[in-house]
Amino acid sequence: MSDAKQPANRVIIAMILLALPALHGLALTSVQPNRIVPGDAYRLMEIVGLGGALLLSLPFVAVLWLAWRPSEKRMRVIFVINIALLMALPWALALFCMSFVDADQPYARAGVGPGIWTLLFLLLLILIELRTRLQLSKGLQNMAAALVVGSLSLALISGWLEPLALAREYAGRREQFAAAVLYHLMLVGAAVALSLVIGFLLALLIRRLTRLQTPAFSVLSIIQTIPSLALFGLLLAPLAWLAARYPLLADLGVKGIGWAPALIALVGYSLLPMTRNTFVALEEVPPDVIESARGMGMSPWQVFSQVRLPLALPVLLEGIRITAIQAIGLAAVAALIGAGGLGTFIFQGLGQAAMDLVVLGALPILIMALIVDAGFSALAAYFRRGVVHD
Amino acid sequence: MIELREVSKLFGREHAVDGISLTVASGELCVLVGTSGCGKSTTLRMINRLIEHSAGQILIDGQQIRSFNGQVLRRRMGYAIQSTGLFPHWSVARNIGLVPRLLKWTPARIEERVTELMELLGLEPATFADKMPAQLSGGQAQRVGVARALAADPDILLMDEPFGALDPITRETLQDELLRLQSRLRKTIVFVTHDMDEALKLADRIVVMNQGRIVQQGTPQTLLHEPADEFVESLLGGADRGLKQAGLTRVATLMQPLDPAQAKAKADLPTVGVDDSLRLALSLMLWHRCESLMVTSEDGQPVGTLAFHDLLRTAP
Ligand SMILES: Nc1ncnc2c1ncn2[C@@H]1O[C@H](COP(=O)(O)OP(=O)(O)OP(=O)(O)O)[C@@H](O)[C@H]1O
Ligand SMILES: [Mg+2]
Repeated sequence: MSDAKQPANRVIIAMILLALPALHGLALTSVQPNRIVPGDAYRLMEIVGLGGALLLSLPFVAVLWLAWRPSEKRMRVIFVINIALLMALPWALALFCMSFVDADQPYARAGVGPGIWTLLFLLLLILIELRTRLQLSKGLQNMAAALVVGSLSLALISGWLEPLALAREYAGRREQFAAAVLYHLMLVGAAVALSLVIGFLLALLIRRLTRLQTPAFSVLSIIQTIPSLALFGLLLAPLAWLAARYPLLADLGVKGIGWAPALIALVGYSLLPMTRNTFVALEEVPPDVIESARGMGMSPWQVFSQVRLPLALPVLLEGIRITAIQAIGLAAVAALIGAGGLGTFIFQGLGQAAMDLVVLGALPILIMALIVDAGFSALAAYFRRGVVHD
Repeated sequence: MIELREVSKLFGREHAVDGISLTVASGELCVLVGTSGCGKSTTLRMINRLIEHSAGQILIDGQQIRSFNGQVLRRRMGYAIQSTGLFPHWSVARNIGLVPRLLKWTPARIEERVTELMELLGLEPATFADKMPAQLSGGQAQRVGVARALAADPDILLMDEPFGALDPITRETLQDELLRLQSRLRKTIVFVTHDMDEALKLADRIVVMNQGRIVQQGTPQTLLHEPADEFVESLLGGADRGLKQAGLTRVATLMQPLDPAQAKAKADLPTVGVDDSLRLALSLMLWHRCESLMVTSEDGQPVGTLAFHDLLRTAP
């Protein structure tokens, strides 16, 4: 093989050398008879015995061997093994649940232990390394992602994962969970929409009144530096006062805690990235294009709507993307002042030391952020097409 | 016709343009030339009111430009700039059709006009209509820029160093095409450049500017023969002037008609075209180390001879 002479891939080797002890030494799972009682941790040997443990080490050893003298072909084999492992993981958990959790005990639950989280993390790192080493086509990457997500979804639908603590927590809060996701989305959506409108107008204003540029950005930056909790605290008093003073506002649900201060704070944090990106996007449009647009006899409104705005759109969308991702995370903190949303689960979980409840809140936040990220990136790329050399 | 009377432009307290008077007749190609920062672009932009003049009067066909709405005025004038300023998010065809669209022409008429212009500028419509500006070479982009400026068939064309960023060969091709177009279209053109060779080649009249003022204006020949001062002389390239002038004169003006008796004897002389410049003829003599050339007509027939001592006579 002509390309067999590459040096050993140290990254993958290091990951596997960490993964093997994690697989054997760390607790992979645990079983609790109910939520309160501490459970028993299980290591690989205790689950599948010595033979099974050795058998399950094989794919890892194989990757180790392949990475020792890597070639394009071998790296692709590692990629396939990696995807297969990720696909198998939920089914392995399902098998564990079936054989170790007593089906007659409705409160018995299986927990995901540090071993599995570590393995998951290491496998993802290997994937990232493979992505930089191998020129994987977009189609192949999407297919791999679809396989892993599909396998996980299938396992979830099958019901075999129900004894998992995460699923148990969810099962007990189905409606609460759906409401929290919706509420979270609405809070973020409202904050992004409001800050887009305000940020856009503000950017237009400071483009006109250049004197205001420095003070405006200073104020917005200062808001950003206030810790989120402190900002909620700062808003408590004035909003409570407003609600007491104007019953109409109180009827609308405005009070010192709840959605109103959360929304105001989220908008406050969103204004800087939104205004800055809108401003830069509009300013960055090449001056000669604007000059020729005016020189052809376009009206100021035509120049703005047909030239400046469309050319600013990709950067503007980038601003919305950053703002939305930031708001998705911050909205979780808003739960502390009774604003609801997915943060509720996180803080409840933290209070009760129930990590699975924390994950129940954190996982959808992560997924939302990933979806928003991918969506807006694709949209920006779409509007950029043609303008730049492809 | 464009008339500037004692026109000035102040930026703050700086005079960018300082009391210039200038008349560009209809159908004339007037070239503004001068060093960087002397106010050429400012003068051009005052004519289409991208910049308002601070003092004096600017008239188009006898009417003050201030009496027009700025946008209406600009739609009546073509405007082409060095960086082309093509809209990067619009196709070539859409870019060219910009002004007709602003003037609310019907789509069918716009499409017809765009095709006509692309053919006029040597851009194959089938190939280029749907391309985006980023996919064009510098020369092609500049052709699109000129086509866009011509789109609504304006009487007046303002061009600010349109060929400034091109390589010498492409620039020369585009200059030739501009001359060809101008001989057909007879627009009133104000053309800005800092390249004196370009000015000498294109201009009916050259206007030399320095520090916001007009130093001299006249035909290329006038400038070469009677430069007003050292500044104009140095712009003309000082000692290089002889070659520049030779570059402006056709071989036909100085050649001797062919004596049929001698035609045979001179058959193996190097040849030069009757429409070529004396500069090229001189270069050929130097290259071939000979004192005379055979002059041929467009179809390659020998029509005369040109000897080195002929070059020393002034043109009749
Ligand atoms: N918008 C403006 N604000 C202030 N000063 C300006 C402005 N536009 C031009 N100037 C100044 O006016 C003077 C003339 O500028 P102009 O652009 O007309 O020069 P130019 O002859 O076109 O030069 P170049 O060959 O470099 O394009 C310069 O000193 C320039 O700095
Ligand atoms: Mg200029």
